[in-house]
Amino acid sequence: MNNEEIIVSKIFDRFEFARDKIHVQKRLRIISDPFSREEFEQIIEYLHDELGFKIAHHIVGIDYGEDLGFIYMLGNDEHIIFALKEKVSKENPEINSMTKYYPSLLMHELELVDLFGAIVKDLPDVPSYPLPDGWPKGNHPMRKDWNPAYFDHKTMTYNPPAKEVKEDEKQ
Amino acid sequence: MSDNSSNRIVIPLGPQHPALKEPGSFTLTLEGEKVVNAVIGIGYNHRGLEKALESRTYIQNLYMIERICGICSHTHSVAYCQAIEEMCGVEIPMRAKYIRVIIAELERLHSHLLWLGVAAHEIGFDTLFMYAWRDREMVLDMLAELCGNRVNYGINTLGGVRRDIDDNDAHEIKKILRVLHNQISYYLELATNEPTLIARLADVGKLNHDDALKFGAVGPVARAAGIANDVRKIEPYAAYDEVPVNVITDDHGDVLGRTLVRVKEMLESISIIRYCLDNLPAGEILAKVPRKVPAGEMISRTEAPRGENIHYINSDGSDIPYRIRVRAPSEANWHGMKHMLEGSFLADVPIAIAAIDPCYSCTDRAIFVNSDNGESRLYDWKGLREYSIKWHRDRGLNIADIQIPMAKNYIQIQRKTND
Repeated sequence: MNNEEIIVSKIFDRFEFARDKIHVQKRLRIISDPFSREEFEQIIEYLHDELGFKIAHHIVGIDYGEDLGFIYMLGNDEHIIFALKEKVSKENPEINSMTKYYPSLLMHELELVDLFGAIVKDLPDVPSYPLPDGWPKGNHPMRKDWNPAYFDHKTMTYNPPAKEVKEDEKQ
Repeated sequence: MSDNSSNRIVIPLGPQHPALKEPGSFTLTLEGEKVVNAVIGIGYNHRGLEKALESRTYIQNLYMIERICGICSHTHSVAYCQAIEEMCGVEIPMRAKYIRVIIAELERLHSHLLWLGVAAHEIGFDTLFMYAWRDREMVLDMLAELCGNRVNYGINTLGGVRRDIDDNDAHEIKKILRVLHNQISYYLELATNEPTLIARLADVGKLNHDDALKFGAVGPVARAAGIANDVRKIEPYAAYDEVPVNVITDDHGDVLGRTLVRVKEMLESISIIRYCLDNLPAGEILAKVPRKVPAGEMISRTEAPRGENIHYINSDGSDIPYRIRVRAPSEANWHGMKHMLEGSFLADVPIAIAAIDPCYSCTDRAIFVNSDNGESRLYDWKGLREYSIKWHRDRGLNIADIQIPMAKNYIQIQRKTND
């Protein structure tokens, strides 16, 4: 077994729920399927505390439709990139800050708040990033249903066209 | 222990050009001359690139990907292209891989020379600033000859490169590299032996080995703290698996260390370019890549002049990417900045900021620009040219009267000067 496979097997031995949901994509790449918030937190703690993944490169926010996905790109001394995914519903997009393990994730978590509308608990009181002051609340540009064509630069307002009501919905 | 809190003052540095000609705000709390707290505000260059990438085809995105950063545009297009090529199962020709390496190392040369000039300017050493930027022009001229552009080279495309390098190009590049090698060797001698320069840079902007790891520093910032991380070695891409690369490290962990690493890396880049020109494989420079990319995801990384550059690409099987996320190296190096500033002297703040070689545009990849008066105007090329001519004429400068030497003439002038 190579290093990547050893890491994956250790996770499978520890967490039965993770079995077959984490894959070695190629040399230096391990990619997981999306985990629930609770499952994700157990795995990331294990990766940080026991498997030597002390580096966090960044977080990729992704709009899965009904859900929001957050891909944490973690690294170890062997330069493996572990893409660990977390998925939460858009109705309740609450996650915990992982800055307790990785201080360098602060800016990336702030980005998830502004661009994807994630609610990140336990973030320190720092200025928002990266959207400008005066950006209208509830507008998260990286969500797929947010269309830049409806944003008015002068008034800083988002004005989508009125939703067409189908005939059967009227009744 | 004395309480000096009543002596503290807070000063804002920026957002206009705090160290470089780019926007960032630094709110510094001072106790005497010492910085005891620093709050960093960035985001002024956020342009909505990642959103824009989700509404254009993979080919159209090549243009935009190169414009993430004006200095290291090539490294972004390499990371992007190689991710898509791998997703499509396309192996690009070896000659194209070598050309990508040559352009990447020329990019590193001009980026490091630009940094050396900026750093020299920040410490009041403007002679070195002029020398470094004069030499950088030679590199930009080479890039213009090879690619057609000084920056945003447009050499990469999906499946390889768009322009070949012929024997005449190779011969000209080698001649210019000889001049550059002499110049850069002189800068290394300066950084190693010049007492004033060393005294000004040593122990400034400290980031030791453990802190560099903790804050995820990359590139010359990490290597100057003794961390031998270099993607060209860790995960060789393009032709780096065939080309000898020596990873340069230093253990100063300060601005002096970052200077030494970057200057030595320039000499290393020259060796790499020479090797590539001498061993350039014959053959095609382009392979065919399908318009639609198979569904899946890929993480691609390259060693940009400022460090590790990571692209994440997610495809839904169409000809438009579902998601692209770029983690540029500057984004990684910001985290250690607060740590570097706190405890330092106010006078050292500009050089400490400049020493990570921050690229604000890279960090704020991703909104929209309001013009000053709230109006938007779209210029075509002709209109833009006329606006430029009028702008200068209103200020007493007639552009038509200026005689600009051709690039090749300029290089010859440079060579004569340096010989």
